[in-house]
Amino acid sequence: MLAELGHFSLALAFLMAVALAIYPMWGVQRASQTMMALARPLATGMFLFTAIAYGALTWAFVSNDFTLSYVASNSNSALPVYYRVTAVWGGHEGSFLLWVFVLSCWTVAVARFSRAMPQPMVARVLAILGLIAASFYLYVLTASNPFERLLPFYPVDGRDLNPLLQDIGMIMHPPMLYMGYVGFSVVFALAIAALINGRLDAAWARWARPWTLAAWVFLTIGIMLGSWWAYYELGWGGWWFWDPVENASFMPWLAGTALLHSLAVTEKRKLFKSWTVLLAIAAFSLSLLGTFLVRSGVIVSVHAFASDPTRGLFILGILAVTIGGSLLLFALRAAGLRSLANYQPVSREVMLMGNNLFLSAATLVVLLGTLLPLVHKELGLGSISIGAPFFNQMFSYLIGPFVALLAIGPLSRWKNQSLLALRGQIITGLLIAAVGSLLINWQYSGIEAWALVGTLLALWIGVSTVQEIVSRHGDGQAGMQSLKRLTPSHWGMVLGHIGFAVTLMGIALTSHYSVEKDVRMAVGERTELAGYQFEFNGVTSLQGPNYRGQQALVDIYQDGEHIAHLRAEKRFYQVQRNMMTEAAIDGGFTRDLYVALGEQLSNGDWGLRLYVKPFVRWIWAGALLMALGGIMSMLDKRYRLAQAKTNAPVEQLQGQTV
Amino acid sequence: MKSRLILVLPLLIFFGISIFLFSGLFSDPTYKNQVQVSRDIPEFALADLMQPQVIYDQSVFSGEVTLLNVWGVWCVTCDVELPFLSQLREQGVRIVGLYLPESVDADFGTKPLAQLQREVTAKLQRLGNPYQFNILDADRQYSIDLGVTGAPETYLVDKKGVIRMHLIGDINPQNWQTQIAPLYQELLAE
Amino acid sequence: MNPRRKSRLTGVLAIMLLVAGAIYMVLSALSENMDMFLTPSEVIQGKNGTVPKQGQRLKVGGMVIPGTVTRDEESLKVAFSLTDTGPVVRVEYEGLLPDLFREGQGIVVTGTLAAADLVIADEVLAKHDEEYMPPELAEKMKGIKHVKPQDATY
Repeated sequence: MLAELGHFSLALAFLMAVALAIYPMWGVQRASQTMMALARPLATGMFLFTAIAYGALTWAFVSNDFTLSYVASNSNSALPVYYRVTAVWGGHEGSFLLWVFVLSCWTVAVARFSRAMPQPMVARVLAILGLIAASFYLYVLTASNPFERLLPFYPVDGRDLNPLLQDIGMIMHPPMLYMGYVGFSVVFALAIAALINGRLDAAWARWARPWTLAAWVFLTIGIMLGSWWAYYELGWGGWWFWDPVENASFMPWLAGTALLHSLAVTEKRKLFKSWTVLLAIAAFSLSLLGTFLVRSGVIVSVHAFASDPTRGLFILGILAVTIGGSLLLFALRAAGLRSLANYQPVSREVMLMGNNLFLSAATLVVLLGTLLPLVHKELGLGSISIGAPFFNQMFSYLIGPFVALLAIGPLSRWKNQSLLALRGQIITGLLIAAVGSLLINWQYSGIEAWALVGTLLALWIGVSTVQEIVSRHGDGQAGMQSLKRLTPSHWGMVLGHIGFAVTLMGIALTSHYSVEKDVRMAVGERTELAGYQFEFNGVTSLQGPNYRGQQALVDIYQDGEHIAHLRAEKRFYQVQRNMMTEAAIDGGFTRDLYVALGEQLSNGDWGLRLYVKPFVRWIWAGALLMALGGIMSMLDKRYRLAQAKTNAPVEQLQGQTV
Repeated sequence: MKSRLILVLPLLIFFGISIFLFSGLFSDPTYKNQVQVSRDIPEFALADLMQPQVIYDQSVFSGEVTLLNVWGVWCVTCDVELPFLSQLREQGVRIVGLYLPESVDADFGTKPLAQLQREVTAKLQRLGNPYQFNILDADRQYSIDLGVTGAPETYLVDKKGVIRMHLIGDINPQNWQTQIAPLYQELLAE
Repeated sequence: MNPRRKSRLTGVLAIMLLVAGAIYMVLSALSENMDMFLTPSEVIQGKNGTVPKQGQRLKVGGMVIPGTVTRDEESLKVAFSLTDTGPVVRVEYEGLLPDLFREGQGIVVTGTLAAADLVIADEVLAKHDEEYMPPELAEKMKGIKHVKPQDATY
């Protein structure tokens, strides 16, 4: 019965979303306070009913209600309760329910934390969110209903969940990504409202920034978790594969990062208005596109065959209306968003513009690499795949100038900056970075040019960030005092940039100095790899609760000293008849040692795959720092100050810039 | 005017992309979903899945129009198509199964035949049994001769034992109605 | 032509040059890193009338012919034959094979064409479950598994 209740309340949520899409917007048109005031309660109602529906489906999973076809195909009575709760988003129907649930959360958050915004703005923003929500509710209700019953013939037990799924990294990854994807809907709605309104001012940018930051932080963590999970669970030592699923989440991240920086200019200098709006539309559109690519099977599954394409068609319809409509509105109205301030060719504005150009170029590269195989095939030219080297090559071209702008940008002033004045700082920064980079790279045999460049760039960001703090706030005692006066959003920027440098350092060193070796080893044999001796001490058999397997014992020595004992496993899951390689990792600050077990060879030898991966952990540590920086920025007082002045008219807020 | 053009550009790019997304939805990634072919069914001598002492050869296809359906209990899509195939059997369509044993790691051995038979029986009892009988392609050699690329796949064989159509993917009411049934009726009349 | 217009013209020219250079770089990177998907028959007989050239990078998907797998006793070198009914392509590879590599199995190799019917592979992966699935199903099983083309163990 609970499932029917969930279904019913989802339908109610849909009706609320439709009302939310219509009444407040109409109210703005007629200047009717009462109709506009409906927006907040409707948003709350939509959230409540979606929460009930989501709760009902979760309960169906927890209580093993296999009469629901969705539960039957995604759970099993033997599954632990916490995995049953997370299995809710294990399949198509449930993940879309999670999608609309997250959207309703963001909507209700906007309704709750938007006291500072003038009522017509709130009404418009909530109405646009309602419109997006309504289309997705309709999709869930008509094309992908998770509450469908398998009556009268239902299975006694469900299919088991894939063992790969039963993992904490995989549990947190999808909700984080969705929080990020869907979070961009808020700034999207703000942008559309500004286009309709025809006005976009500093106050608008100040509303938009915390929402953008929040979405960006979630997306950053989501992508990081996915990468980390791939590294330790897939057993092949890779942390980024440029596959369509990853690219789908990386594109909105790149656009969102550009948007954050463009918003800063719009807030402080009232510039780049139409560009900011376009990025806001792009970030959400790319999120929708990502959802479509992953969920429709157009690109993801090589094995998918032409089946009933209605679901994909439905999502494509939503995409066409949302993205097409907003871009049309942009084409018609963006010319009206005038940017008035002026600036010189060398100034912080131009540096940030350059940063935006590079981030957009990177987005386009990823988009091209992701969609080209589809286009190629549709043009009848045959199936192709675009390998990781393409992306790596393009990103190595982009990274140099991008980092130069990143290092110099924060040092320079708004409006006009003399390059001569910065010469000293640039030369010092580059020199320190070059020396540091040489010292780091010296430790590895066969210095790689790109690794040298990468570490140099990463160190330069670090040095110039310190230079920026020092130059702005003096050094010594007085400097320490003024450090405390730096705003949280300034610290956010510092953390974000340092985090990027840390990630860049990790990528540069691990991509070029990782050593990998497939070896054939007899028991007791030793192999040398990058200064480590790997000793293979045989294979023992393994009996897990639902799998059998083999475990290779590997001891690692450095300079005769025993430093690690690793057990690399190969498991065979009997119920699912599924093979899994469980690599063993000895993690460290400057390097990971990684062993995966291959197959047994004819004369009793075994195939083993050994890796030494320097600085690989820095990649995820940097991402965490970036996310932390985003959170710091969100805590900045000026976003809350604006909220305190509940009834202040917009014009008054417009003048203030912090 | 020029700046207007730049503002329209994103819309145009999106429009271009969505055309490909749209056609991608309907296109067939395997680029040969249904292929009308015409070649004799390769020779074989393989045992029955349930009664290993019974050996079949290509003569089982002569005299009747047959659907040769490649499947396995490990194949999830096969589960989806079994009920519909069973309906077809009730309508008098002759369906023979070519059982493709699942791929398992040799380190852990293949499934014993008895266990396989139990699993097949259980599955067919649950989802319906469309098959006259099942041929076991134990070492998958015959699948290679046939050009099987995966499961489920189906071959439409005419009364003279000639393969007339190779279908990759499941048989569902839609593609049965539109693509397979017309040829099937034609072959019946031959 | 007044100076302002002139400077604008040089600006536009510079931008066009930059864009052209960028497009050239993208295209050259693409042409180096684009792998064609072919079946063994297409490798031998050509596809749409064009036979792949020696030295070309490609992906070949087919079945491992039983009895053709030969291993080197001393190293991880292995060679086997691939087919899709007709012509046969020989593959040479050194390294660990995926968990599901078996004779009679569908696999995909990536590498370069060394001779008309010989591929030197730098990557061998087993086609997952050799199964055709409706997109939702495929997405459920693969999307979650994060199909890592080059690193898939299936």
